[in-house]
Amino acid sequence: MTQQSLYEQVLDYANRANPYPLYAQLRRKPITRQTDGSYVVSTYREIVSLLHDPRIGSDFRKRFVRELAPAGFPTNQEPASENQAQEAEVPVPNQGSETEVIPSFIGLDPPEHDRLRRQATWPFGPPHKPGRVTDMEPQLIRLANRQIDTMKGKASIDIVEDFAYPIPVKMISELLGIPSEDQPHLHSLSEAIIEGIDLDPQESQEERKRRQEQSGQTFKKLEQYMEALIERHRKQPGSDLLSGLIIDHGPDGAMAPADIVSTASLLLIAGHETTVNLITNGMLTLLRHPEVLERLRREPNLVIRLVEELLRYEPPVQILPNRVALTDINIAGTTIQKGSPVILLLASGSRDPTRFHDPDKFDPDRRDNMHLGFGSGIHYCYGAPLARLETQIALTEIIRRLENPRLVHDPPPYRQSSTLRGPRHLIVEIDGVRD
Amino acid sequence: MLRIVVDLNRCESYAQCVFAAPSVFWIKDGESLEYDYVPDDSLRVQVERAAAACPVQAISICWLDEQLGQQRGNHNEQ
Repeated sequence: MTQQSLYEQVLDYANRANPYPLYAQLRRKPITRQTDGSYVVSTYREIVSLLHDPRIGSDFRKRFVRELAPAGFPTNQEPASENQAQEAEVPVPNQGSETEVIPSFIGLDPPEHDRLRRQATWPFGPPHKPGRVTDMEPQLIRLANRQIDTMKGKASIDIVEDFAYPIPVKMISELLGIPSEDQPHLHSLSEAIIEGIDLDPQESQEERKRRQEQSGQTFKKLEQYMEALIERHRKQPGSDLLSGLIIDHGPDGAMAPADIVSTASLLLIAGHETTVNLITNGMLTLLRHPEVLERLRREPNLVIRLVEELLRYEPPVQILPNRVALTDINIAGTTIQKGSPVILLLASGSRDPTRFHDPDKFDPDRRDNMHLGFGSGIHYCYGAPLARLETQIALTEIIRRLENPRLVHDPPPYRQSSTLRGPRHLIVEIDGVRD
Repeated sequence: MLRIVVDLNRCESYAQCVFAAPSVFWIKDGESLEYDYVPDDSLRVQVERAAAACPVQAISICWLDEQLGQQRGNHNEQ
């Protein structure tokens, strides 16, 4: 086997528990071209610059590969000099079902992105529903405490299964108006979809294609579920977000039915696979910093800054792997070629010592903390307000109520994904549960 | 007493503050941010959440003691 590049080592499961030393090595060069033609960006300044650059797109259908075109092959290349005439830009062939689905706004560029995002925000936040997230606070506090109540009488608990997973999943289900009896089914669909889109450098092209095919089929199942759910909400609308998408239109008019399906599917998956890791990473980090844990118990409002520091120090979304260069881009002494995939290592940018003082220190008092935990620019995390509130409340309540929590395995076992990174289980021993 | 200052030159209308403290911050005409610079003290936690959530760190909070008429030591700049 040939030697792995630094980025391939990041993807390698063996390095899942601590990718940060690899990011530090990658940052010696802001941008590195991979053998497959993609570009990996590791430094804060370059990541932020590209996140705000209209020459970078999120619509992966705009990828090209540069290869020699067969004679007579029609090319879409702009007029080029004579010696380049043989080189053509060939669209990447449709890779199975994944690209057959209509992209949601996360995978679109302006102007379609902007309109869909405004339409999706209309029933979720300002200007039309500014109180949607804060109104969920009492329910979130009840939910967190109900989960903690189930730990009474136990000597050890799993933070993931008993706490960090059920909270965001129940909240996103309520937000979308999904009946509770459907939730286990959606849990397994979401997990299968995420496994399918995971990056694994060691598998063959055929394996990857087969896995993407399977993931695409699962995504179709999720879409079929959503179509039926939307029909039910259309007939009997409630006060939930999905009903809002269907019946409550802003200045941009009604969202097309296919877009409602893809938007609801995106929100469901994001609600299942991200905040769970922020809450779990938070608990793990607190158990590794007992003095901070003790301080949080005494000063509950510390949680506000602490969650921002977590988003910098152990972010649940480590990598944005799906950007594409819409034209040749010169940056940091490198030319990113048009059509190339661009991979942004957000978690590396947030540990860049040229931007953050003592970046490998977990410091909840950090002042200058413009982290990349939710990205930046037009694709800034749609669910950020909910993720913040969920994590603030979850960590405050669990730290307040658990007596003498102790980490059993360090590092804990991790989920497969390098992109959406977090522990699979986090076993904690406790002496009891306070009221 | 709670006082808020927003650097509107930095504000990029991410609206994270509006989500976090909707009775203190609001968006006018779909674009520009407006806010109550003397919110009620009962909104303190919401205001702190709003300031921490700002992606461009444009929100400053300070505490004023009216009787002394001067800024107290716990000036809480973001």
